[in-house]
Amino acid sequence: MATEGMAAPARLARARPAWLEGFLGQLIALLASLGIALLLGSLLIVAYGESPVAVYSAILKGSLGSADGIGYTLSIATPLIFSALAVAVCFKGGLFNIGVEGQYLVAMVTAAWAALTFDALPGPLLVFVVLLFAMLGGMVWAAIPGILKVKTGAHEVVTTIMLNGIAVSLLAWAINFPLKFTNAPPGQNVDLRTDLFSDKALIGDIGHYFGVTPGAHLSWLLFLAIAAAIVVWFLLRRTRLGYEARAVGSSPGSAKAGGVSIGATQLRLFLISGALAGLVGMQEILADKGYLGQNYVATLGFTGIAVAFLGQNNPIGIVFAAILWGVLSRGEVTLQIQTEVPREFIIILQGILILSVVITYQIAKRRLAARQLQRAGAAGELEDSAAPDESSGPRGPETAGSDAFEPADEGGR
Amino acid sequence: MRIGDGAGSNGSPPLVVLEHISKRFPGVVANDEVDLQLRAGEVHALIGENGAGKSTLMRVLYGMYPADGGRIVVRGEEVKVASPRDAIALGIGMVHQHFVLVDPFTVTENIILGEEGGSRLDVDAARQRVAELADSYAFRVDPSAVVEDLSVGEEQRVEILKALYRGVEILILDEPTAVLTPSETKDLFGNLRKLREAGRTIVFISHKLDEVMEIADRITVLRRGRVVGETRPADTSKAKLAEMMVGRPVLFRLEKPTVEIGEPVLRVRDLAGEGKLNGIDLDVRAGEILGVAGVEGNGQRELAESLIGLRVPASGTIQLDGTSIAGMPVADIRNAGVAYIPEDRHDQGLVLNMTLWENSVLGRHDDAEFSSKLGVLLIRRIKDLAERLVRLFDVRARSIDVTASTLSGGNQQKLILARELETDPKLLVAAQPTRGLDVGAIEFVWKEILEQKAAGRAVLLISAELDEIYALSDRIVTLYEGKITGEFSPDAPPERIGAGMLGGAEQEVA
Repeated sequence: MATEGMAAPARLARARPAWLEGFLGQLIALLASLGIALLLGSLLIVAYGESPVAVYSAILKGSLGSADGIGYTLSIATPLIFSALAVAVCFKGGLFNIGVEGQYLVAMVTAAWAALTFDALPGPLLVFVVLLFAMLGGMVWAAIPGILKVKTGAHEVVTTIMLNGIAVSLLAWAINFPLKFTNAPPGQNVDLRTDLFSDKALIGDIGHYFGVTPGAHLSWLLFLAIAAAIVVWFLLRRTRLGYEARAVGSSPGSAKAGGVSIGATQLRLFLISGALAGLVGMQEILADKGYLGQNYVATLGFTGIAVAFLGQNNPIGIVFAAILWGVLSRGEVTLQIQTEVPREFIIILQGILILSVVITYQIAKRRLAARQLQRAGAAGELEDSAAPDESSGPRGPETAGSDAFEPADEGGR
Repeated sequence: MRIGDGAGSNGSPPLVVLEHISKRFPGVVANDEVDLQLRAGEVHALIGENGAGKSTLMRVLYGMYPADGGRIVVRGEEVKVASPRDAIALGIGMVHQHFVLVDPFTVTENIILGEEGGSRLDVDAARQRVAELADSYAFRVDPSAVVEDLSVGEEQRVEILKALYRGVEILILDEPTAVLTPSETKDLFGNLRKLREAGRTIVFISHKLDEVMEIADRITVLRRGRVVGETRPADTSKAKLAEMMVGRPVLFRLEKPTVEIGEPVLRVRDLAGEGKLNGIDLDVRAGEILGVAGVEGNGQRELAESLIGLRVPASGTIQLDGTSIAGMPVADIRNAGVAYIPEDRHDQGLVLNMTLWENSVLGRHDDAEFSSKLGVLLIRRIKDLAERLVRLFDVRARSIDVTASTLSGGNQQKLILARELETDPKLLVAAQPTRGLDVGAIEFVWKEILEQKAAGRAVLLISAELDEIYALSDRIVTLYEGKITGEFSPDAPPERIGAGMLGGAEQEVA
């Protein structure tokens, strides 16, 4: 009687390695959500009286259709990679750092100060020092919510929002007073800004190697961003800190009982996040402009949250998500020239994309969980006591505990 | 349409007939062509291991899951039960393990919620009706009490009354005693007998065999989604039922290894903290299992968490081999040789969405063996460890790369045991180590705990199950309101230990 049919499915699923399974699942989910977003976008375009094919091809042509277009796309993606990585690092530890915005503003101030102050240093060293100060600035601004969280339990969402506001004012104060330009350039109505950095403080252009116009400001920062993504991946997957962070993020109680200090882990994550956030503004001041001015690019920190989501907080996924975001943003320009669709359409499309990612990943995650259970059945673990633990099932990251914002899991593990 | 006449047939047509009910979940057949008959006025126990399909079957009857196959006949007519609302209309009610009550509402308000009738709410009349209903079945509950002030047992009574208020004739109780103290269980059984006298039918889902033998008129045993037999308490025994549930004979009493009891390993003096611990004195010696018996909520959790360092005691001392460990960080206490089996394996044992190999090193990931000085994990070694643990403790899993959430409860507990015992601890703190496990897994865990004793380690066993305390302990103490209220030898009769659990200051020299 004991040997009679385990009611398991007859065919055993081919055992693919878990990472491949995860990767494929992620890829399919991303493509599916992209498809859904494009479809919904088409409806909108048709409603507007334009042809979806024309609109989408305009976007693609503008962003990927030429060397220049690709250059622009990648330089838009560069700061977003840093920003999304900063968000993802905290997310993995169950923290929702929406203060990347403020952290990179502060970092632009400290970096600008370093660029102007250490002007005497030789070129490469100066760049290194400037980047270092950028990271330090971001870390200091991230340490505040980190310490408040660990010492007083103040929720990081609240504290980082407040600090974002302060950072905006801090930057305005810096370019109004201590860092305000000294030698007024000729002409009237000059925007408020710092002095120009010396050329050796700027990050070298790489566009010319690939025939990209210097106007795209494609710089070495792109490679730094990709390197950062790899480092973050290694950090999360292969180091003790990353291991502890993920444990804290998904089950604080079990982590604590395993001897992990939750506070110390979270504080370290904030510092790493802050260092990454510090590099967000470097494309702006060291590659695009060569100074810090009042017309700086804002909201990169908030966009980073969306990009992190799109990349499902997976460092490598984030690189692709940032490029996708760049494609859409760059496409906005050609869209205006070639079609009647207003530029706001891009923003709507980005919104739809995020929504469909949220939905398809949830579905994908459930299917994956179901498949894992199926595998469990097929492998015969059920001999002992059937079905997987009732309360565990596809419960996933809800275990993250008190935090209202549950870290999105990397779709497929 | 009569199907295989049950053992307790009394000629009257069955009230409910489930015929060939099948229910599949991805990868699992929870119910496979299950037949079941319920008769008016009986207490019908549905027993089986976790995951045998008991709850699923009843959820199908209650309209929570659509069946994939089979039919449901109520009072001779085939019915479709598409939702709990349909079920209630048919006179079928179910009380789940997790209650669904509105905390700030009174008992009456909770009971009439959704059944207020009309636009004007006559609370007084409703309260009157609730009071009468409660009286008629000897339910002790105050209709005007606010739910958040009630004990778990009282909340359960409210849930049952809620069903009765809706005119339910067939009442399904899903593991009702899992959350109750022994005396609350006694009260519940009193209520159930009254309900049976009044002609109501009760389905009692459980895996506690003693209770089933006591209260049931008929017993249906499920294993892996199939009915393996139907019987009556008079015709069977606990051992036979356990064998039917598990599919092989189960030992209820294990041989305790004889081993010389050595010096005290753990010495706790006057431990107090957070109102839950009020001066505890304990000694656990090498090769000894000390059982801490008590009704839950009397400081068990706080005691265990203080020992492993999750709580800092307000006062008192904890010494491990003569060295004070009170208030030290968890990592240091673990390094000093304390292993911990938490009462909640999901909240304090495993990180469910991490893999088995990642879980197998939790708590030791700091060791030079598993991570380098620079903090890089030595994954090859961790995986070797995981492979070894999974093999040694027979953790059934497809591979060490699956997440812990895919394991059954028993296998999750095995993984925790494997991880904790691998460290060769001096002291094992085991809190409710078999909670929620089925008979087969319980046997495994018990054997492992006895192994620890045989190896000369000290074991502090905290359990709300007296059976477990008796089966394993060399010495028993009772915990009541944060104090040790008695010390007993394992030969002491349960009544005396029960008195200690309720605060009776009985003392016996072991």
